[in-house]
Amino acid sequence: MIAIRDLRFAWTDGPFQLQIPRLDIVRGEAAVLAGPSGCGKTTLLNLICGILSPAAGLVEVAGTDIGHLADADRRLFRLRNIGLVFQDFQLIDYLDVLGNVLLPCRIQPSVRLSPALRERGLELLNQVGLGSFSQRPVTRLSQGERQRVALCRALLLNPQLLLADEPTGNLDPDNSRRMVELLLQESRRSGATLIMVTHDHSLLPMFDRTLPFLQYLARTDGTDAGTSA
Amino acid sequence: MNSAFYLAVRSLCWHRSRSLAVIFSLAVIIWLPATLRITLNQFRSEISARAVSTPLVIGAPGSRIDLVMHSLYFRSQPATTVTMAEHQLAAESSGVTAVPLHVRFTTRSQPGVDGAPIVGTTPEYFTFRNLTPQSGELPALLGECVLGADYAERSGLRTGDTVLSAPRNALNLAGDYPLQMLITGVLARNHSPDDDAVFTDLRTAWVIEGIGHGHQNVDRQTDPTLLLSNEREGAASVTAGLAVLPYLEITDQNRDSFHFHGNTSEFPLTAVLAVPATERDRVKLLGRFSGSRQLQCISPPQVIEELLSIVFRIEQFVLMFTLAAAAAALLLLGLVLNLSLRLRAAEMQTMFRLGCSRLTILRLQSAEVLLLLVSAAAIAVAGGLLARSTAAALLQQLLL
Repeated sequence: MIAIRDLRFAWTDGPFQLQIPRLDIVRGEAAVLAGPSGCGKTTLLNLICGILSPAAGLVEVAGTDIGHLADADRRLFRLRNIGLVFQDFQLIDYLDVLGNVLLPCRIQPSVRLSPALRERGLELLNQVGLGSFSQRPVTRLSQGERQRVALCRALLLNPQLLLADEPTGNLDPDNSRRMVELLLQESRRSGATLIMVTHDHSLLPMFDRTLPFLQYLARTDGTDAGTSA
Repeated sequence: MNSAFYLAVRSLCWHRSRSLAVIFSLAVIIWLPATLRITLNQFRSEISARAVSTPLVIGAPGSRIDLVMHSLYFRSQPATTVTMAEHQLAAESSGVTAVPLHVRFTTRSQPGVDGAPIVGTTPEYFTFRNLTPQSGELPALLGECVLGADYAERSGLRTGDTVLSAPRNALNLAGDYPLQMLITGVLARNHSPDDDAVFTDLRTAWVIEGIGHGHQNVDRQTDPTLLLSNEREGAASVTAGLAVLPYLEITDQNRDSFHFHGNTSEFPLTAVLAVPATERDRVKLLGRFSGSRQLQCISPPQVIEELLSIVFRIEQFVLMFTLAAAAAALLLLGLVLNLSLRLRAAEMQTMFRLGCSRLTILRLQSAEVLLLLVSAAAIAVAGGLLARSTAAALLQQLLL
């Protein structure tokens, strides 16, 4: 599902360099990227989903070299193939629950909001137990309900890949665990590959695989990256 | 673009206080200069039309603007009057129709209804101004009057009712008494100051002024309640009772008793409208009065042009300040929108990361700005239409 070869990426304002000689994640796998906050985990997610372009190397998602797509194609590819769940879920306050789930259809002219997609949105809400909340403002939802809405939004267009960027970052341990269970459950139900970023090591056993993120970091000043990060 | 407008509408509704504040601020910015310009244009065309339709005005020396305001709009009183002799002089000029005006009194104010000017004139005035009765007929007898459409509407008076004149000085016992006039008709509206006036004939106006009068028989034979005491039979010492009317009323019974003292040619007029048949007649008439110290003959279009040039300068001045205020308000609005966009940076970042292009984000923001502008423009247009129907009349009242 994801094939990364000889990837190199450097931050202009930091001493770290991301170097991944080879990384393969198979379809349907649930992988976790663990590491302390600020060490570059989100950067790797951004490289995989095409928000950032690598300095060198290949990032292939579902057979497409995403790093070499034109900007518009890359956005469309991301919207159609990759579901994103953000820290704090980033719901739009002025839209109701269903409006937030259907947001991907409203921001890309080539993805039209069809009755089928509306049905799909309602079906997803039913699956996560929010079917009766579809018209409710998201500001009136609990934290747990908000995370489920964010997940439904990520799953709307049947993505092959689900990227979750520290979705448990601001949650207590119980809610963190529930969120991960929900992510795993829904990604398995839809057959999507899941990569989640977290700094909470207690959650790692729940995933199929933990990616050795610290091994991907190198210091440009020659010191050991693992101890510094 | 539908999605952009959908999101824009939802966002504006969600931030409704901010949206309303921006919309109303923008509406005022659009409305104020536009309405000022429209209103002044309307005022200019209305005032010019009345002036253009009145070739010459003859009146006592003094302010030219006051004379025009008085003879065309029945506002302001000239300090001195002219006489019927001057009217005769103008009327004797070849090819000139002279219309006398006597506008020194108003009708009595009622609660909530201000009095209207009483215009004493001759039937030529109705012909000159194309005034025809919508109901009833024009006054034919002493003590009769016809109402302008607006005054009839706001006073609720109709044909067959009576209307009282207001004395200029209630304490002047030897002066004018209120005259109760019979309303013989209501004029069709012609969207001019004539709509808010009461027209009567010159002789009735002179009766109101106290120049002409009738006699009410105050004796026991006609009505015992009229006489309080008459101690010496045959003597002139008579005390009237409370039943003696405190106003004059011209009826079929007493009409013949009304008469005027003095020489008619010396009776006062406040102005004379002169309508020359040709340009030559006009020039001749102007020449005839040009050397007079007792009279002035003026051309209302010229005077109004002078007045409008003052209004135009004021308009430019006001417009300049309005535009400066609008520029400042626009800067503030720009700041508000900029701060609003900054507050929504996380939302935009989310859309961007989901796959929204920067162009689409720009489109979303443009849709919001467009909706704000359209809403503001709609309110400004509605306000403009509202102002158009009232502001010109208001301005006319304020300026004239």
